Amino acid sequence: MTDGVVITGGGAVTALEDAEAALPETVRARGARVERVTRLVLAAGGAALDAAGLAAMDGPARPRVGVVVGTAFGCFLTNDAYARRLDMGAAAASPRLFAATVSNAAAGELGIAYRLGGPAVTLTAGTVAGIAALGHASDMLRAGRADALVAGGADATGLGLSMWIAAGGFVRGAPPTDAATFVVLETADAARKRGASVAGTILGYALGFDDREDVAARALADAGVGPGDVACSVRTASHMLAAGGPHALRGALANAPRGGVVLVVDACTSGHAAALVARAA
Amino acid sequence: MSARVAVITGCGVVSPLGRGVAAFWDGLVAGRSAVAPIRRFPAADLAPNAAAEVADPTPDDPDRAGAFALDAAREALADARLDVRAVGPARVGVALGTTLGGMQLFERWIATGDASGLACVPYYAPATRVARAVGCRGPVVTAQLACASSTHALALASDWVRAGRANVVLAGGTDLLCRFVVAGFNCLKATADRARPFDAARRGLALGEGAAVVVVEDAEHAARRGATVHGRLLGVGAAGDATHMTAPDREGRGALRAMEAALADAGLAPDAVDFVSAHGTGTPYNDAMEAVAIGRLFGPGRVPVNSIKGAIGHTLGAAGAFEAVMCLRVLAEGTIPPTAGLESVDPACARLDLVHGVARTHRTSVALSTSSGFAGANAALVFGRA
Repeated sequence: MTDGVVITGGGAVTALEDAEAALPETVRARGARVERVTRLVLAAGGAALDAAGLAAMDGPARPRVGVVVGTAFGCFLTNDAYARRLDMGAAAASPRLFAATVSNAAAGELGIAYRLGGPAVTLTAGTVAGIAALGHASDMLRAGRADALVAGGADATGLGLSMWIAAGGFVRGAPPTDAATFVVLETADAARKRGASVAGTILGYALGFDDREDVAARALADAGVGPGDVACSVRTASHMLAAGGPHALRGALANAPRGGVVLVVDACTSGHAAALVARAA
Repeated sequence: MSARVAVITGCGVVSPLGRGVAAFWDGLVAGRSAVAPIRRFPAADLAPNAAAEVADPTPDDPDRAGAFALDAAREALADARLDVRAVGPARVGVALGTTLGGMQLFERWIATGDASGLACVPYYAPATRVARAVGCRGPVVTAQLACASSTHALALASDWVRAGRANVVLAGGTDLLCRFVVAGFNCLKATADRARPFDAARRGLALGEGAAVVVVEDAEHAARRGATVHGRLLGVGAAGDATHMTAPDREGRGALRAMEAALADAGLAPDAVDFVSAHGTGTPYNDAMEAVAIGRLFGPGRVPVNSIKGAIGHTLGAAGAFEAVMCLRVLAEGTIPPTAGLESVDPACARLDLVHGVARTHRTSVALSTSSGFAGANAALVFGRA
């Protein structure tokens, strides 16, 4: 049990190649042989860990530091590439591609690169997966199952996803874009002990389904605040897919008055809905 | 979190050994294996081409993963004698694990251009289908930890119940067999014609399919409505290997951390555990890794261990949920099913007390289930007798 969950670092990527140029060589080397969503997670997750002062890249895996990735489509682009090869016959199946057809590949790569031996979790809940990841990370930290978790959302776009969206008639609003946004969540005790700089505190969250109006009220109740306490309320940008929620949270915390309460509300056409409440430092 | 306790009040399965918990359990106890040559889809160019297939509960339903999950969820709800409307839809959640979602519909689209099932393709689709069908409006999330997915889905459910986010959660996993996954594991040279977990002659895994779902419920809520409790979900844990994307850590350090975390969450020492359900895939590396991790945590030969993957194949994102249902039956019956396919224990695994040949009578108060997957994902659950 802990007395709270705080945000001690953050990182966001929309222009992948530029972000990768700033990464340490060992991480860039890992990114050179993995798919796009994993590269996004390596870049944004790595930046968040670096900002929090937790970017160890050698030594044994750290058992109290872990990762929670939220993604709407995960390794969709690899699935598409692998399935199209397989359509030519089983002899065309690629072991390299198949090994990357697991949505948790990005969490695994980030764990290897940054020596994360704690929980290594990947979740999907449509485009609200990023907020779901932050909420799950908060629950695990409050339950004492880790000291710090780098958590957020990421999705990669490309031809395979665009073709699926078009074929299924799923086009709604602006076309999706590559994006990843991560924050480091940490127990207040752990952050205090290592003198970490705090950007905000997670107060509460809620997840719902086919019920986007009620989810904000439930998140506020979980946080123990009322609608009148909210200084800044934002809805997420759906074209950023799972990165939209964490991106909106970082923006709201940056713009909120000192100590102000922010509410982020996210909803997906899949029916998933989420809301998260935080207090700016 | 609070002092709320998560209990299991319902179970449902669609398994290669049969539809429903009774058929599944009877098959396990009898030591039957459902692994056989694949019949459902063209497999002539697949080698090996054996797997454990399910007799579809709804044969005309193209969304097999969703149909499996829904059938298992309905059995679990009926077993729990639970009416979602009476609980309150916003207080009911769904947490499922899967590695493939509606992958065979994706294959069909690529092969034929038939786009009619594309809405069922995303990994989150089986959970949304279950949620909509049962009228749930609470948390709905899909866990993706490769072959540890449904193990962690039960952990999500436990967290939500213990944090007061839901009174009831349908938790489990679903996965299906298709060319995508069989050809994939074949090209990794990870498969064999039969699964022989922990056997000296094991050569690889045999895949399986199906769904298992349990009702995870707040203990006070269950008591108020007079529900029958099948077992308590005492602890959950997860840990990454941080070593390799497809091969397990030879020393089993990630699996060990996940089991230790689950025991710590349960507030129990290793000597409180009476039975361990191993991941036990039948691949040389996995089983040797588990022998190291389980042996190190519990001591050589101290606790009975089994694997059910020789019976139902490796059901991937559903595997941990199937093993959870098996653990609950072990707690209730005092019988441990044998490890189908295990005939001669590998000396490298001899530190484990492996149940094989015939079922073993063993009064069990606490059971631990461990799962491991690609990308170094590990998860573990601790169950207690009702």
